Amino acid sequence: MPKQRLHVVRHVLPGCRSANAHGSNRTCRKFSAACCVGFISSVFMLAPTRLRAQSSGDDSQRPVPILSAGAGFITTFDSGDAHLGPLVAPVLLIPIGERWLIESRATFESDLSRPSGSGGFRGKLRKEVDYLQLDFIANPYVTLTVGRFLTPFGIFNERLYPIWIRNLQTDPLVLPIGVGPSNASTGAMARGGFRIHPKINLNYALYFSALSTVHVLDSDRSAGGRLGIYLPGPRLEFGGSFQHLLQSERSNSFGFHFVWQPPAVPVDLRGEYARSARGSGYWVESAYRLNEVPLMRSALRHMQVVARAQQFFASALPSDSLPAANTRQVELGANYYIRDDLRLVSSYGRQFTAGANANIWTIGLTYRFVAPLAGRDKSGGVD
Amino acid sequence: MRNHSMILLFPLILNGAGFWAAAQERAAAPHPASIAAAGPNSSATAKSGSTQSETTVRLEGEKRFKANCARCHAAPHKFPPRMMGTIIRHMRVRSTITDEDVRLILHYMSQ
Repeated sequence: MPKQRLHVVRHVLPGCRSANAHGSNRTCRKFSAACCVGFISSVFMLAPTRLRAQSSGDDSQRPVPILSAGAGFITTFDSGDAHLGPLVAPVLLIPIGERWLIESRATFESDLSRPSGSGGFRGKLRKEVDYLQLDFIANPYVTLTVGRFLTPFGIFNERLYPIWIRNLQTDPLVLPIGVGPSNASTGAMARGGFRIHPKINLNYALYFSALSTVHVLDSDRSAGGRLGIYLPGPRLEFGGSFQHLLQSERSNSFGFHFVWQPPAVPVDLRGEYARSARGSGYWVESAYRLNEVPLMRSALRHMQVVARAQQFFASALPSDSLPAANTRQVELGANYYIRDDLRLVSSYGRQFTAGANANIWTIGLTYRFVAPLAGRDKSGGVD
Repeated sequence: MRNHSMILLFPLILNGAGFWAAAQERAAAPHPASIAAAGPNSSATAKSGSTQSETTVRLEGEKRFKANCARCHAAPHKFPPRMMGTIIRHMRVRSTITDEDVRLILHYMSQ
């Protein structure tokens, strides 16, 4: 499945850049300084708070480097055309001491199709570094991140994007809004989550990204953040995101999200709304694990049914990755967990646009594995 | 100028909330997190007197595990403690899990 890209910034008029160059640079410098002050004050003002060590100092508890990966093979039938999508996304985690972590994810994928409608499937391998970041857990309330990181806008890009996590294999139509090209940013970020009340958790992310035009590491110059409230009792999370482009185009994007998992029933309800100068839209998804259905329990407890509805409202401004016209899409899916790390996925969707309606079918297999980058002892643990 | 003020205002509000949360944490005692902070092996030395607390912590850890991990993906099986230490640190950053939740989940997953 091709990753959607948004190249909003590349479409600005050259005249705009030259006319505003001087003023823009001064404003950008001030904005950058304000961002730096914000980050530094966050760290130092919170410095007196304590951070308990994650590990007890015992060698048997010391974290080890880990190699993980999500892999899959998804076949998509879009308007009758078959696309084969092999994908592997290795994740490398290297903990350093008690407060540092280097983490990286790369994606290798292809979209194989038959250009003339017959003959063999052809396609190119696409490589991308999704994130390569250094995290420093400054205290219980602030984690600082530098490097290339997934843009914290909404919930899908950061949390639900991996092939083995997402319930439906198609991207939401509004995914490209607010995340920049390649869905990632390059710069610095402060983030964290903490309890502000016995029944309320607050989570936040605040970042600044620099422009990068390097092929597999491209990003926009932007600043933004996300704020979320999580209520552990009803398992309800809601929040909002904001992004301000700091290039020749100075547009804003904002969005809202929610996640609700009622404790009484195995249902996930998720949704996002996003708006930018290039368009706006929303998606709402519901997933239900059939493990409580008192019928054919041994088979149905591995089953999950999913439904998603989404709508996109196009803007007059062009975009590479967003739909060109108003679009509505409805999808129904069924997933079968062979094991907790191996899953069969399938879905049917119907897309309604002004031009033509289309059917979108997907079927595939997703797999995730985790392996320590250290020897194993005889008991199967990590030594 | 308004943007700059907002950038500065955000950490100030955040810091205020942080100090408030820290004060609440200190006031709320005893708490499962304080037991979890002592590490997974603490129950062995505390003997039977702490058995009930240990059970409470474990149940609380299981609850937090289901609430936090299942918010995005199917709950995974348990991993060896040293792997779990890395995974939970990764998830702390990725999902902005609270420090207390990290500790309780790690304690539960290390049993």
